[in-house]
Formats: sequence, structure tokens, C-alpha cells
Amino acid sequence: MIVRFDNVGLAYEVGAESLKDVNFTLNEGEFRFLTGPSGAGKTTFLKLIYLALKPTRGRMTLFSEDVTHAERDMLPPLRRRIGVVFQEFRLLDHLTAFENVALPMKVAGVNQQQYREDVRELLNWVGLGSRMDALPQTLSGGEKQRVALARALVSKPDLILADEPTGNVDPQMGEKIMKLFVELNRLGAAVIVATHDLQLVEALGKRTMRLDGGRLLEEPPPRATGRMR
Amino acid sequence: MPEAGQGGAPLTAVIAVISSLACLALAAFILIASASTAWTTELDSSVTIQVKGADAAQIEARLRQAEEILSSASGVDQFNVIDSHEAAKLLEPWLGKGNADALNVPALVEVKLNEEGRTNIAALAERLQSISPGVVLDDHGGWNDRLGDAARSGQALAFAVFALIMGAACAISIFAARAGLSANAEVVSLLHLVGATDDFIANQVQRRFTVIGLRGSMLGLFAAVFLLTLFSLATRARGGDGFLLPGLAVGPDLVLPLLLVPIAICLVTAIAARLTVLRTLRETY
Repeated sequence: MIVRFDNVGLAYEVGAESLKDVNFTLNEGEFRFLTGPSGAGKTTFLKLIYLALKPTRGRMTLFSEDVTHAERDMLPPLRRRIGVVFQEFRLLDHLTAFENVALPMKVAGVNQQQYREDVRELLNWVGLGSRMDALPQTLSGGEKQRVALARALVSKPDLILADEPTGNVDPQMGEKIMKLFVELNRLGAAVIVATHDLQLVEALGKRTMRLDGGRLLEEPPPRATGRMR
Repeated sequence: MPEAGQGGAPLTAVIAVISSLACLALAAFILIASASTAWTTELDSSVTIQVKGADAAQIEARLRQAEEILSSASGVDQFNVIDSHEAAKLLEPWLGKGNADALNVPALVEVKLNEEGRTNIAALAERLQSISPGVVLDDHGGWNDRLGDAARSGQALAFAVFALIMGAACAISIFAARAGLSANAEVVSLLHLVGATDDFIANQVQRRFTVIGLRGSMLGLFAAVFLLTLFSLATRARGGDGFLLPGLAVGPDLVLPLLLVPIAICLVTAIAARLTVLRTLRETY
């Protein structure tokens, strides 16, 4: 089991609960879409999974380990198994595209000789082979999105979380990115993609969860249309 | 960590000033130690014999006897007689010309002793006393003790200043590390999310502070050596080594120990920054 929520609730310091009584299980090799209106708690839900937040109630399990009250020493190895594509990219401005993508490998202590080719290959694949030395401030929104995507995938994570991964790219690149997620899922990674793009959801025919008012609702899997745009 | 986030150039400048002050404090410590050694060695190897008498003839007679004893004593390298007349001349600047002759001023003998002589100093004093109680040997023990105390106090003060400067370097590193973390909160947060441990982040900051510490402290060392050289040249231009302090020579004996300052400052800044980062990460993130 990759992720399991049992009656998880999360409240920030001020205001009502952002997530209420969430029960959810994600097994190895599963692919889920997460939909819902803006402010429904999609990003908060993903933040809980990538251990940026702790639940205020309930129980949370990640890679079969109880992380509800995880000690900080326990977090880095778990986080290294998760690849996250952040909605706001979160690239480091003082690092080049190459260095941003290589960051998870460097943090994990992998030798540069070992990851250099992987990073180059990924950047070539997302169409940024000629912009490896560019700093983020010189990249367009779509290019930043692709660098963020490459960074999430470079360590071949067991779990991929993507928050609106196609929001800043053209339809063709969006389709390419989604195909990559499907391919990585086929190779064994569990994937959760938070999106507003219902056409995308329908095209792939994967299981979908809907967050509304902080509550998680499972929706029946739609029949894949195969047409993304 | 981005370069600007750690204060970069301003921090290097502050470390350079601190390093320079630490070098000067250490130089003061070394110079006082060297002056103290010169003073005490000089006093240890010499004694003064005072020959008193009722009149000039008696002084002269006792002086001859004392000279005989010194000539036959083992451990005496050389001695120099300052007879009553010469001693009276030494007092002329204070008493006026010719006024000291009427005072029956004692004769003096300046004696240089070797190692054996210093060991047998009590026996020599006894033999001289046998001439007359008016023949007194002064081994400068009182002066020696007072100069030793003064030198030790000076060294303690210089060391205290050095320790305070190191404390200041430590405090500055703590403030700079906290400010750096605060300015780079987004970077730190992202590093955590991609799996960085606190140790990894602390290593990055420590490495940056080591580089800044090394750069700043080497600049400070060069500035301090430059100031000491100027001081040394100015001392020589004034005409000599000074009255109490030995000549300030900016050579290997002085400069090599000063190389410890950049090492100490690098260690202090890097360790202070590392511990601050680890503590701040635990408290804040």
C-alpha cells in the first residue's frame, strides 16, 4: 500500500477544517485523478501526502509506515520516494535548469557521473535540451513547468504527485506529459494528478476522486474516450 | 544556497576586520612573551654588587677584595667595576655636577654569570659578605618578579582580547546564519520536500561559511601583517628598539603563529553556523 488515510482531518491555525474525515487508499500501480473546484482542498490533500503538512486528526500511512506523528528524521527517506510537480513550479532561481532537475539526486547523495545522463535525457525529452544552462527567470511559464516535471521524475519515484501539471503548457505538451505519467504508471509508479481539466480526465479513463468542501468523494471511472483535445 | 543569501561581501568584510583585530591581539601576546623572556634572561644572567664603606679608601679596599673573589670564583663570565667616582657621576643629572662626590657613593660591580654561576649565587653572596656586611650582592630577584608579573598580566589581557574577538566572530556567524536561513526560507522548504536532511542543509551553509571565513580571515591576516610592518618601520625610523619592548621584527617567529588565526576563525564561523542551522531547522521547519 502506498497511501492510506483513515478519517483524516486537517485544520490550519485559523478557520474551519480544510479536509474533513478523508478516507482514502492508493495501492501500488494505481492512477488517480483528483478534481474539484478551486479552494476545495486539492493542494492541501497533496501536501499531506508529500509530508509538507501533518494531519490534525485521523491516521495517515505512507509506504506502509504510520506517518501521522512522524519524527523529522523519518521524513527525508520517505520524501525521496515521492516526485512532486508543484503548481507554482518552485524552481530555485539561482540554479540552472540542469541543476534544478538534478537537485533530488544531489540531495540523495548520488554521484554526478551517475545522474548526468538521466538529467540530460529528461530535459531533452521535455524539449529543453538546448536550455539546460538557462536560469529559471529566463524561462517561460511552460518551460518552467517542464523543468519542474523533469525534477519530479528524475529519481524514478514510487509515487508521483502532480498539481495541475498541464496548466501552463500547450495542448500538445500537456498530452505528452499525461502520456508520460501513464507510461510511468505502467512501469509501476503510483500517480495522483490534481487537475481542473475534465477533458483530460475523460480521455484517459482513470479513477477519479472529487474534493468538495474538504470532503473526498470517489467517482466511478469514466470510459476512456482517448481524445485529449 | 544562493550566494547573496548568506550576506556574501558584507560578511567577508566583517570577518576580515575581526580577523585583523585577532591577529593584532595575538601579535601583542607574542611580543609581550618575547619581551618578557628577553627581560628575565638579561636579569637572570647578571647580578650587581654594591660596595659601601665609611670613606673612599675603605670602599676602594673592599672593592679590591671583591674583585679578587670574583676573579677566582667559578661561573663568573665577566665583571665590570663602576668605582665610587664613576657611580657619583651617574647621579649628576639628578644632584648636579660635583655634588655627589661628597655623598660617599657606593661602588658597583656589574657581574655576568654563566649557568654554573647562577647555581652557586648563594655561595658567592656569602663569600662577598665575609669581606664586610657593606658588600651586598643583588640578584635582581625583586625586579625579575615584578617584570614577570607585568608580562603575565599583559599576556592575560592580550589573550582575553583575542578570546573576546573569537566570541564576536561566533556571534556574527550565528546572526548571519539565522538571517541567511530566514532569507532563504523557500529554498530550505524545497530542499526538505525533495528529501534533504537537516545535515545536508547544514553542510551547504557550513561550506559557504567556511569559504567566507577563509576569504575574510586571510584578508584580515594580510591587513594585520601590513600594520605590524608599518609599526616596525616606524619604530626603527624613530631610532631603535624602544626602551622596554624589544625590536618588533615581522619575521617567521611572529607571522607563522598568526596563521592560526584564519584557521581558528574558519573553525569558529563554520561550527557556529552549522549548529545554528541545525537548531533553527528543528525549531522552525
